[in-house]
Formats: sequence, structure tokens, C-alpha cells
Amino acid sequence: MTEIIRPLTHLVNLQSPLSLSDYISEGGYQGANKAIHDFSPKQVLDLVSDSELKGRGGAGFPTGMKWGCVPMFPDNDENDDEVPEFKYLVANADEMEPGTFKDRYLLEGAPHQLVEAMIIGAHTIAANRGYIFLRGEYHLAAKRLQRAIDEAYQKNWLGNNIQGTKFSFDLYVHTSAGRYICGEETALINALEGRRATPRAKPPFPQMSGLFGKPTVVNNVETLCNLPHILKHGADWFKALSPDSDAGTKIYAACGRVKSPGLWELPMGTTIREILYQHAGGMADGLKLRGLLPGGASTDFLLPEHLDTPMDFASISKVGSRLGTGGLIVLDDQNCPVAMVLNLLKFFAQESCGFCTPCRDGTPWAVEVLTRIENGKGRKEDLDTLHNLCDFMWLGKTHCALAPGAVEPLKSALRYFIDEFEQHIDNGCCSYQQQGVTQQTHAVQPSHGGQFHG
Amino acid sequence: MDDKKGTSSQKVTVYIDDIAYQVNKENNLLAGVLSQKLNLPYFCWHPSMGSVGACRQCAVTQYQDENDTRGRLVMACMTPVSDGMRITLQDKSSAKFREQVIGAMMTNHPHDCPVCAEGGECHLQDMTVMTGHNSRDYQGTKRTFNNQYLGELVGHEMNRCITCYRCTRFYNDYAGGKDFGVYGSKNQVYFGRQKDGTLESEFSGNLVEVCPTGVFTNKLFSAHYTRKWDLQSAPSVCAHCSVGCNTSIGERYGSVRRVMNRYSYDLNGYFLCDRGRYGIGFVNGEQRIKKAKGISQASPEKLTRLDVSKSLAHFRGKRFMGIGSARASLEANFYLKQIVGEENFSAGYSGQQMAVAKAHQQLLNNYFTKDRMLSLREVEQCDFILLIGEDLTKTSPRFALALRQACRNSGIEKAASMGVASWQDSAVRTISGKRNSPFFAMHPTATKLDELTEQHLLLVPDDIEKVMLAITNLLGSDLNEKNSEKHEKQLENYNTEQQLFINKVISELVKAKKPLIVTGDSLLSAKILSATNKLMACLENNPDQKKVNLVVLASASNSIGLLSLIDEKSLSSEQVLAKLSNNEMDGFICLEQELATFTDNELTLLRENAETIIVLDHSESRVSAIADIVLPAAAVSECNGHFVNYQGRIQRFSQVHAPILPILDSWKWLSYVEKSLEFSTTSQSILRKNKAEIIETLDQLHHHFSKHFTSWPVTGNVLLVQNSVARMTQRASGRTSQAANFSVHETKVVQDKDQHYRFSMEGNKPNTVKDMPFTWAPGWNSNQSINHHQVEIQGQLSNYHEDVYLAFQFSNFNHKVEQTSDDTLAGDSPVDKKFTYFPQGSLFQGEWQSALTAEFDLLKYSLEKNPTLYLSTEFSESQGWSQGQWLKVTADNINCIAQLKCDARLPKYLVYGDIYDFINNKSGITVKFSEATEFEVIQQQESRINGYQLAKENQKNILERLKKSDQHIPIRFVAGGLDDA
Repeated sequence: MTEIIRPLTHLVNLQSPLSLSDYISEGGYQGANKAIHDFSPKQVLDLVSDSELKGRGGAGFPTGMKWGCVPMFPDNDENDDEVPEFKYLVANADEMEPGTFKDRYLLEGAPHQLVEAMIIGAHTIAANRGYIFLRGEYHLAAKRLQRAIDEAYQKNWLGNNIQGTKFSFDLYVHTSAGRYICGEETALINALEGRRATPRAKPPFPQMSGLFGKPTVVNNVETLCNLPHILKHGADWFKALSPDSDAGTKIYAACGRVKSPGLWELPMGTTIREILYQHAGGMADGLKLRGLLPGGASTDFLLPEHLDTPMDFASISKVGSRLGTGGLIVLDDQNCPVAMVLNLLKFFAQESCGFCTPCRDGTPWAVEVLTRIENGKGRKEDLDTLHNLCDFMWLGKTHCALAPGAVEPLKSALRYFIDEFEQHIDNGCCSYQQQGVTQQTHAVQPSHGGQFHG
Repeated sequence: MDDKKGTSSQKVTVYIDDIAYQVNKENNLLAGVLSQKLNLPYFCWHPSMGSVGACRQCAVTQYQDENDTRGRLVMACMTPVSDGMRITLQDKSSAKFREQVIGAMMTNHPHDCPVCAEGGECHLQDMTVMTGHNSRDYQGTKRTFNNQYLGELVGHEMNRCITCYRCTRFYNDYAGGKDFGVYGSKNQVYFGRQKDGTLESEFSGNLVEVCPTGVFTNKLFSAHYTRKWDLQSAPSVCAHCSVGCNTSIGERYGSVRRVMNRYSYDLNGYFLCDRGRYGIGFVNGEQRIKKAKGISQASPEKLTRLDVSKSLAHFRGKRFMGIGSARASLEANFYLKQIVGEENFSAGYSGQQMAVAKAHQQLLNNYFTKDRMLSLREVEQCDFILLIGEDLTKTSPRFALALRQACRNSGIEKAASMGVASWQDSAVRTISGKRNSPFFAMHPTATKLDELTEQHLLLVPDDIEKVMLAITNLLGSDLNEKNSEKHEKQLENYNTEQQLFINKVISELVKAKKPLIVTGDSLLSAKILSATNKLMACLENNPDQKKVNLVVLASASNSIGLLSLIDEKSLSSEQVLAKLSNNEMDGFICLEQELATFTDNELTLLRENAETIIVLDHSESRVSAIADIVLPAAAVSECNGHFVNYQGRIQRFSQVHAPILPILDSWKWLSYVEKSLEFSTTSQSILRKNKAEIIETLDQLHHHFSKHFTSWPVTGNVLLVQNSVARMTQRASGRTSQAANFSVHETKVVQDKDQHYRFSMEGNKPNTVKDMPFTWAPGWNSNQSINHHQVEIQGQLSNYHEDVYLAFQFSNFNHKVEQTSDDTLAGDSPVDKKFTYFPQGSLFQGEWQSALTAEFDLLKYSLEKNPTLYLSTEFSESQGWSQGQWLKVTADNINCIAQLKCDARLPKYLVYGDIYDFINNKSGITVKFSEATEFEVIQQQESRINGYQLAKENQKNILERLKKSDQHIPIRFVAGGLDDA
């Protein structure tokens, strides 16, 4: 069984994804079949817990534990007051983290894999309705997912009494109106309800009271896509995929000025060096590695000295960053780190939901200071202000994780690239400007509109 | 929580900076800290609206135990109180963070404090100073917004917004508004309407107080502005409905500037309705009566007592009736009744209204001799509501707001079962979803509360009675036998919708832990009140039933006070007219009574038959226009007295400022009238016997009443405990210079003989009495300083003492009462299939005094909304009429034009709408309709435009007059009688 080393992507076909029948003939829906026919929800839950699957959206929360919080109600419960009319399973496909494009690959290339995964997940938590909350710009994925769902309905993989069982499940694609914050699960739920996409106060956790006040589980697409394979091959197989690290495989990606940007499904815990040099082909000609964000925009910078760190949750946090989405954003030596941080902060300031003060007013403040530094108008005190702002927006002080996420690249840049900041201030200009690579970051961002996100 | 005192909640020990405090466990840490009168800044949290954790301002450091020195930053408003918890407010890290939060808010807040109406009472200013934020680090530009026109009452200045979300949480979440929202994101969040237009909520004025800074301002106050610290204020009671909300009225230079909420634990809490907040405008109105009419003055400059007694002496020996009113004080009404004698006293009610009053008395007699009617706070705790024949959002809006909160109890309970405390506002709302406590309503018109009901019926009053009788019968029979056949038989005369309603009401009612039935007199239906009586009797007889609470609302501020004076001898308005036509009586004294029940013809008849009409009122009415003698009475802000609210709670309103002579308290006029006319009735003899007694002050009047009349409810000595609370703030500027334009001498402070407030900034602090003229605490200049004057947050006031209540003991209830009610209503029965029109209530036009406010007049002619007529979809389709079509409506020889809307829920013969001309026909009116011609529509639109322009002009003139009069300050040296006193 060990021959399948790329379970998530081996059925991906970006040109034309497998139809239902092709997908089934390639071994698809076996996991779902097992789950609804052979296993009780409890058994599936135990299996997923045993597999040690962790959420791939960035936080790395154990999926089995997340599901375990969902209240289960015995069949034909007499106390029907307590049994909610609906339980929901939501796939978080609102992939808006800068430098991250792994879910898109799965959504466009193997839509049936997600549909199957959601059937398994829904069966496990006894959800009767599911939503795929899709990033609005993913038009192709929306089309392909809808086609897959239609096919699944035709063959009774969705709808009432799936495959002759008592289990019924409806699945919908919901395309987002486009806010980064919708990736936060409770903001996503608010958006899905038609409310403003602001994160909710927790508790109550969505598993208890989520969408429309009903028990709801929100899982990342990549997380869900592991399920059919875990069901099919078992927990031990899953753990064996990456014997020295967190279980399973991970889709790693690299972008920036590397030779061949892209994404690769590799065992969990592959080192940064292997990803960057073996798979992405190393830095583009004439450029040197300056630093990198290991898992999307809201993670701390790592330096060349960290190249041998395995990309898993624990190892990356040991060196002071986060695995995040596993998408490397690579900074070379000919791009201005200050400009890069400014660019990221602009994104976060733009995407703040506006609910809590530190994020709403702190991120634009940081943008204002960084803009001045980058334009050579900075002062020494500005560095104190930036440090203060990093402190101001740090974990525990904000309503959700957006602002602390925004702080991570800034804070680490201030640590690793402080000389660059000081040079900008001392020289009154950005020394990278002559090369014209960072021109666009100096444009004053208009205060209205959302054309800059994504 | 103990409801009576608000103090004996579950307390645990919390160490704040190593000092042990006893803190209420049920509330959050922020409320706990504030309850200890410690200063901790906050914005988004509100005592009534709970916590959401948006502003992050109330961060404190929490330690795990006494050995923990690092601690952890927590938001106090989001942190539950637990026993033994240790926090600090003084550590560097949390203090720095709190300062940073303000600093961040200030990146966009403009520096326009000098021109901001909130200046001097701005929560943001207070909090900024409290955190120590005093220098600006931010170098960038500030974001700007366009402001909106939100109507005549609320101003909008979005640039000042600090995005605390309180406005939308109040307007949308708490008060159920639909036309307000949050737009945009990041630091460009906009709070307003989708487009310009008048805010539709009855509670929009609360935005002014809820907003921690000057985004939402009181437009009327801003137009004729003064700083808060220059206002002279006194505690008052709202004069515009029977709830009796506590208000604080602010005055300067002889004109009333604004009404603010005055916290009341039992009643209004932190919120008022717009009628109460803005209806005070009538005091400054053009219709005010400022001079006596029909009295020959010796000197043109001033009216003297001698003038009055000389003029009145002509009428000596005449037989007078007295017509009291539900908007006059308890004192004045009581006095009038004693003067003219009980057999000559009328409440100004028609026969139909008298029948309603008697049914109301009967309810009070039967169920409220021992128990009291629930206060708003108690209403908010109910878990089942049956609302019968009242559109509360228009008659008693603050009560409607309380019901809205009661509907949340089921969700709060669900949240509690998941371990989420009720103050976790957003969490509770997430958990409750659309879940509401069972709420049922019956009314002839659609109301804003309908959306909360499980089911509501649109019915004429007679059908409402029918449904109630069915509920009563079924509840009565269910006791002994659960015979479903019999059950069905009972219901066979009802349509399916009604059957469903009846069954649901019964099944939910018996389940409820604290059920509430609410009804009132606004439909003028004695039948509904009698049916309520029967239903209550049936429920009381059922031993299994939890105690059912009843609330009966009345229409005016002192309706219940007047009700207590109505007895079997009291005259109806028809009887008044008859007595005059039969020459049994010669004239009548009209006490603040506009005689709305009389038609124009009847009024002419009244004039023709009355030899003498004496009117005491503050504003011109149809009656003052035909009176022989008009005596200018003081309006609510200018005099002292008591109103009795729907519960029977006797509340005092205090003089805010002395009126310009010869305007006097009604009771003072009555004392002159009494002396001059030398009444010779039976009760009069008592008064004459004691003629030696001089009644110059309210205290003397009370003393006199309690000495001679056992029925007088107010005990005087409670009221005048302390003698010297300042009406002005200690910072009131320029007393020495106030009169500088005509005198270099500092004016002498006006002496107040009637109460314990001084017309000065000298005196005791406002918080030394229960009824605070205004609220202030060191460091807290906004209304949120009330935190410092409560036993604990949202608890009783520190100087609380029990209110005095009327004892409800009405004599002689016999079958005759019921008889009368049936007699009077016999003609109403809609057996003949005619269309009966019921007016939708009107917040701004529904009460006579407040309707005189210039801005309310403007709203009446507002062009934003056309007059509307709602017909059943079935009928309008049968006529081939479609939505939006203009119809001509005819009733009582009046033609009106209204736009058609269809309502599928309506029974065929029931019609409702908001046509202004029919607003007084509360018990239904037979109407006919036909299609309106284009010409008629244009004509009507033109007349509305004209009306609007006139009203606009009027508003402008009043403002100009007030600003001019600011230059001629009416200084008086004695607040007492007329000039020869």
C-alpha cells in the first residue's frame, strides 16, 4: 500500500478533472462508501483521531478533536427539543492568504475528492447540509465543483438516503463576495449567513453554535481532502507517510523569484531546503536568498540559516515562525525587505474587518509609518512606533488572529532586517529603488475599493 | 438578583491591585470594576447591551495567583468574574495598551471639540484623559466621510466616529431598527442609513446618548446650543405617555434646551423614546399661552392677584363644573375635584371612555390591591407575552422596547444552558438565532412588534374579545375534562387561523414560568378590558397555573392619577354638555384639557350653552379659543407636581426653571379661582372652614390635602428631605455676568419654595438625592457617569428610596358598570358589513402636547412617506386596485387621499392606515373609498408641501425668537405667586 505517496494530488487533473465515473474507476468514493456503509460515525471519528490529521488551514488543530466537540444525538431522540434541525459542515475554500494557492489546485483539479471528503465528514458529525465557501475569484473551481456536485446528486452520492442508507446530505457551493477575513471560520459563518464578515466571539465555538446558531464544523479544503484516503488506507498508513513528523502529506508551495515556482505534495516535515532547492529549483539566476515566509503572508520571516528546518507545525514554531499554509514566499537580495513588509501590511490593513481597534486603526498606522520609511521620509522614532504597534496588535489584544498575523512579518523583519530600516532612515531613500523592482509598492493606495486584495 | 434593591446579587471576592472587593458574579469584570467606583475606560460595552469586545479599551492584567507577577492581558468586558481572581488596573503593560487604544482611535478622530455639540460631556474626551493619552504620534491624514440627513431629530457627523459599534448594536440589535447599518470595512466603517432619510425607529434619539462621542447629536439641542455645564437641570417625569420614564430636562435663559434620559432602575433604565426626548419642544412652542385672557389688568405691565380676584368676582355664585385632565398633575386634578365637588367633576371623558375607565378601575381593583403591576425591568424578565389591542410602539414605546427584551429570554436561557452568560451579547445572539420567547398579539393594525410574535391576529376589538373569551372558556374547561370534542365545539365559530392562535396561546401560557398579559385603553374598548378581567379570573382560579402578570397601559402621563379620581358621580363629557343645556349648571373650569372628545359642532354647542368657560392651560387649544377666561398655566418643565404611571407609581416632576409671569402652576391658579369664586358646594365647605390656611407652596398644599382628605395619596414629608441640591453644575459659567447687559449687579438667586433644588450652582451635589437633576462624577462628564451613582452597575440608584404608590380601592362595582359598557358599545358592532378603519398610532402626533412641537409638525408633513391605507388583498383585487394606487377615503364627511397597500392578513372589512385626519378615531370609524382622481392627488400633495413649508417656517421663527430672547434673560427674584405677592 505504501506505493501511494501523493494521495492528495495523484488524481488531480487540471486540464480536465475526472468525471464521477472516472473518479470512481480510479478508486474514488471507496472511502465514502466505507464510511457510510461499514463504519459508524463514532468509528470514523476514532479513525480520524488515530490518524493524527491536523488542520491544514494554518492553525494545525487536530481534526478529530475539532469534530469531537460536535454534539451528537442518538437516533430517534425522544427529546426532540434538543436535536437541532440542521447541522452543518463547511469547507473553507476561501483561499486568500497571499502566496498560497494549494487549495485552488485541489478544487480545480479534483473536485470529486472534496465532495467525497465532505460526505465522509458530514456522515461523521451527522451534518445534513454542507457548504463549500469558495473564494469569489475562483470561477473555474466554482464551475467544476458545481459539476461534480450535480453528478454526485445524479448518482445519489448526495441528497436523500445516500446510497440506500439513512444518511442524507445536501451540498452547496457558495462563492464569497471577497474578503480575506472570511477565511476566519466564524467570520466565514457570518458571511454565509449574509451578515458582515466579522469574527465572532468564542465561546460559543461553531461546533456548538455556528451557522444559524446550529452545530457547525468548518474545515480547510486540504484537510478534508485527506479523509477519503485515510478511510481507504487506514490511520497507520497515513501516519507512515511521514514517519518522522506530523502525519500525512502536505502540499508545499514556493513563490517569489525562484527558478520554478509551484506546488508539490510531499511528506509532512520535508525541509525548507529540499522544497526550495530540489523542487523549486533554487533562486533565480543572480539572486541570493535573503529570507522567506514559510507559510503565507501572516508568518514570521525565516533566514537562510533555517533552511534545514523540517516544515511541520512543531519544528517551524521552534525556530520562531509558523507552518501556516506551507506556501513559501521567498525574498531575494535585490528586493527591498521594507517594501515587501509594506506591501503585506497594506494587504492586511485593507482586509481588516474593522471590528476591533488594534487591527482597524493599528494596521493602517503601520502602513503610514512604513510608507514614510520606504519613501525615505522616516525618522528614528518611527522604529519605536513600529515596535509599539507590533506590541499593540499582538496576540491576546485583538479580537481575532488577523492583526497578530499581520504583525508576524513586520516583527520578524524588524528583528532580521533592522539594518535595512535604519539605512532607509539614515539615507533618506530606498537603496533598491534604482532597480525599479519595487516601484508599484509606492503608489498611494486609494482609500476606497477592494481592487488590491488577492 | 434581588429586584427590589439590586444589591443582594451573588458576590465573590476579587482582588483589584491587592485590595479585596465584593463583586457581583453574574456580571462581567468591567461591570464589577465600575461597580466599585473604580475608573476603567470603555467604549463598546454598555450596561444594558452587554459586551462584544470590539474596542479593546477595558484591558486589564489578570494574574493567576498571588505569585504570578507577569499576568495576562484580558478584556475586562469579556471576562467573567470568578471568586478569588486577581487583577490590576495600574500595571504598566495594561495601562500602556489602554493608552495605545485611544491613540489608535485618535488617528482618525478630528480635533473639532470646540464646535462639537458633545464637547464637555463627551465620553471619548473623558476616556482620553483617563488613559493619559496626551500627545499625537500619528503623522498621516485622517479619513473623511460624507454625513447623512437622518431626519429632523438626529444629527450625523461621521468623521468623529471611533467605530465602537454601539449605535448599530442599540439601533438594530437592541431596538429592532431596520433602516440603519454598518457599511464598509477596515478603518472606513460607516454607520448610517443606506441613503439619506429620517430614521424610522421610535428610539433613534438614544443614539445621541449611546454614541460615546459626537457622531450622533440631538439636532434640536445643537440648533439652540449651550454647553452641558451651562444648563440648569431638574429631574422630571416624561409627560407624554403612562410609562412615566424619568427624564432630566435642561434649560438656559428661560428656554428648554433638551431632555436627557434620567436613569431609573425600575422603568426606563438607560433609554427613552423619541416622543419623550423631543416632545418637550411644546414648551418653547408658538402656541404657548403667555398672558391671561378675560382679566382686566390695572397695570399693562403686570397681572396682580387683585386683578384676578376682581375679574373672577363677576362669576361668584355661578354653578361651575370642573373638567380635569390626564395630562395635568395629580395635585391640580385633586384640587379641582375638591373645589367643584365630586358630583360636578368630570375627567373630560366621553361615555365610551368612561366605560373603559370603569373597566380599567375594575381590573385595578380586582388584581392590584395587593400586587403591583410589573415595572419595565420586571417585564423584561417575562417569558410569555400576550399583547391585546395595543400598538405599544406608538402608545407606550418604551414599554415596547422592554417587551422586545423579554422576547430574548428564551435565547438567553439557551445560551445559559451552554454556559454563556447573558452579558456576552454577540455570543447570546449567535446562540439564540431567531429563537424568541412565545409572544402573541391581537390588534386591528399591523405593528412593529409583529415580527417578534409567534402569531398575531389582525382583528377588530369585538373579535379580539371573542378570541379572548374562547381562550378563557377553554382554559376554564381544560381544568376538569380534556374532552377534545368539547374543545373543538368551543372553537367551531372561529376560523382556522384563530383556532391555531387560541390553541397555541393556551399551550404556551400553561408552560410559561413568568407569563405576562398586556393590554390597554388605546382602542377605547371596555369589552377588551372586561374580557381581560374574565381571563384573569379564570387563570387565578386555576391552581396549576403560574401567576399570570397583567399590565394595563393608559394613554397619558397622569391617566391613572385621573382614574383614581373618577367615581360613580363623575360626569362624562356628554353629561357636562347636557347639564349646561338643561341649565343645571352655568359654566365649567377646564384644567389643561383640550376636550378632544368633542367634535367641532359639539364644541359650538358647549359654548352656546355655557355662561362661563374658564380655561387653565399652557397652550392654545380649541377650548381656549372659545373661553371667557384663560389663565396661563405652567408646562411640565416650569412647575412641580406628581404624575401617576400605569403601575400607580407616584412620581414627582420638578420645576426646571421659573416661568415668566403670569404663567403659574395650575394648582396655584386653582387656589386663586377657589378664593375668588367662593364656591358653595359641599366639599367647598371643608375648604372654607380652613380658609385661614394659606396655601402658597406645594408643601402646604400637600399638607392641606392630607389633613382634610383621606383619599390624598402623597405623604408630603418624604419629598422635602434635603433642601439644597444645585440645579446647575459647579462649572456653570457666568452667573455674575448673566444679566450684565442690563445690570452690573449680580442677580439674586431665585428662591424655590416648592422643592429641594436650588436655581444655582451652589448647593449639594446632584447625587445626594435620588432624583438627580443631572448626573456627573469626577472624570465622568457624560451621562455614563451614572455608573458612579448606582449601587452597582445597572442596579438601584445609591440614594434610592421606595416610590409611593396609589392604593387602588374603587368603590361600588356592580353590574351597572358592565351594563353601561355594553350599552355604549352596542352601536359599534360591525354586523352590518361596513369597512371599519383603525388608525395606526403615531409616535409624534399621538399625544396632544408633544404634537405641538415644531419638529413633530414637520414630521407630520414629511414628504418622505405618503399617507397609506391598508386593505385586504382579496378586496383590493376584487376592485381591480393595485398597490401604490391612490384612493379617496371618506368618513364623517371628511375626504382624504391615501396610497393603497395590500395586506393579505387583513379580514375583508378591517382597514387601517396612517391618515392623519382620522388619527383620533381610535375605536374604529366607518369608511368608504373610491379611486382618487389625478387632480385630487396633486391637490393633496400640494397641500402637504405647503404644510411642510409652513412648518419649516414656523420652526425657523421659533428658533429665531428663542435666540433673541436669550439676550433678555428673564430673571425673577421670587418663584411664587403673582407680582403683588
